[in-house]
Amino acid sequence: MANEFSTVDKLQAAMTFHRERHAVLAGNVANVDTPGYRPFDLNPTTTDDPGVLAVTEPGHIGGTSAGQAYTKEFSDEGQLQTPDGNHVQLERELAKIDANRARYSTSAELVSRRLALLRYAAGDGT
Amino acid sequence: MPRVGTNMDFFTAMEVSASGLSAQRARMNVASSNLANAQTTQTAGGGPYKRKDVVLQSTDVPGTEGELGGAVKGVEVASIKQDAAPPRLEYDPGHPQANAQGYVAYPNVNPVEEMVDMITASRAYEAGITTMSTAVSMAEKALGIGK
Repeated sequence: MANEFSTVDKLQAAMTFHRERHAVLAGNVANVDTPGYRPFDLNPTTTDDPGVLAVTEPGHIGGTSAGQAYTKEFSDEGQLQTPDGNHVQLERELAKIDANRARYSTSAELVSRRLALLRYAAGDGT
Repeated sequence: MPRVGTNMDFFTAMEVSASGLSAQRARMNVASSNLANAQTTQTAGGGPYKRKDVVLQSTDVPGTEGELGGAVKGVEVASIKQDAAPPRLEYDPGHPQANAQGYVAYPNVNPVEEMVDMITASRAYEAGITTMSTAVSMAEKALGIGK
């Protein structure tokens, strides 16, 4: 059900996703020298729900009324590995972490703006 | 709504980063111990110093057991093992530790190898610091909502 806060709810789900993804990526960086370690990543998935945001690109996060659902998977396809079987590429993980942080900040900023808008609407217009 | 963990917050990410930092610090300590003992011909156990190596293993993080649990992994030092490579023999008959043939057994430490280890440990440490400060900046951004 859409109301004044449904945007905020969706953004909150996105922020939760990015926060948990950060923990997963941090684990990959921490295990950069662990023999046999394969890095993980989280992938957002959406449920088909009429009236929600469409997912047209892999990076998109679809809005659902129930919140965010996502899957865990190994993210080392086609990657080189070191002789000890470690698949972590530090640059790749750090790039992901930075992009993830930027997305998180964007969502946080959007929540701020949305709340400011609601405050303006609820106030006396000053 | 499948979540990685029910009790997961920014502190989880910081804990994971911290585990990586202490693992890298352990590597650094062992590398400097190897370098410091590169010429040690006598130890308490007898014989020359033997090169040590840190073995790391990934660990589960408490509070991340969920439907997708196991995606968040910390790291810990599993063991510190001795390098089984034979000691380096150098001919020096005047040395007090020389054997009957006049050879002295020096540690199986290669200083170049240790320097490379120290550099990779230090770079991985920096990456861990970056990850942790990213978690902090994300938390600060969240605290700024509604201001």
